[in-house]
Amino acid sequence: MSEKKHRVSRRQFLTYTLTGVGGFMAAGMLSPMVRMALDPALEATGDSEFVAVGLGEDELTEEPQIVNFELEIEDAWYTSEQPRSAWIYKDGDEIIALSPICTHLGCTVNWDANEDYPEQFFCPCHFGRFERDGTNVAGTPPTRPLDVYDVEVRDGMIYLGQINQRS
Amino acid sequence: MKWKVNQIDTYYKAKEYVDTAVIPLIPLQWGKDEKDTISMGEFTEYITDRIENQFTGRVFLMPPFTYLKSEPALEKIQRLKEWDRHLFKQGFKYIFYITSDVEWKSLDKQLPDELIWVPAISSETMDSNQLKKTVEQQTSQIMPLFTGKWQTEPNPRDE
Repeated sequence: MSEKKHRVSRRQFLTYTLTGVGGFMAAGMLSPMVRMALDPALEATGDSEFVAVGLGEDELTEEPQIVNFELEIEDAWYTSEQPRSAWIYKDGDEIIALSPICTHLGCTVNWDANEDYPEQFFCPCHFGRFERDGTNVAGTPPTRPLDVYDVEVRDGMIYLGQINQRS
Repeated sequence: MKWKVNQIDTYYKAKEYVDTAVIPLIPLQWGKDEKDTISMGEFTEYITDRIENQFTGRVFLMPPFTYLKSEPALEKIQRLKEWDRHLFKQGFKYIFYITSDVEWKSLDKQLPDELIWVPAISSETMDSNQLKKTVEQQTSQIMPLFTGKWQTEPNPRDE
């Protein structure tokens, strides 16, 4: 009995089939386009990530100490772990993490390494100097202070984030 | 600075500050002791890379000077001297040759500038952390040779 009610005419059958197939085809064509348009928005942003440096907050002193850590760098299709360093110290309650890269031409600076300039960051290449807070000493080659890292403390451990230029 | 296209513009801008060249000396040999020969070259590259990283603003790391282990000493020296003369004329007043090949040690006196010999440590038995530590340690011992040299007048070259 019920079969009679549901009888499908040839015209209806064709309409259903064509709509169905057409719908699939349209979806197949449109979805890659939609995906492509949305993809950049869905991608995780990498530059605000923080990296643990393996140092506890209680290990910090007023004296800058060097920490080495690894950062994942994507260079075209090749991802690699790049070594990074920072001079970390406490200034009152604040934690300061300075990049050891000389702002002149990129050599590595050392804290308190030259007898003539105690309590300063010293660059062995062209004798650039920086104060404890990273300010460049006038009359030496660098023209801006050392870069600083964003610092975060999670469960007593130090995490470093993005590197920021100062002027 | 490195032997890379994207670094040369930095060099042009800062030419007067970059007065030191590093030339890695890397041997090639097939048929015997390949492993030792390879670790020499590999270790030299790690060390020179690290030096470049520490002294980026003053040191230019050249492509390696390669040679057959069997090449006669005189010819090797002759070729290296040509590299040296060429670079010296172009403003590299201090030139370091860095190698793990012990043969150069005895030729030291015949070279126009400073040879640094670093005994090769095979990276085979080390994990990457140990290797990094070793390279860092070795480099920190070499770095004073550079800063010391910079305090002195450059070696003159005879034409």
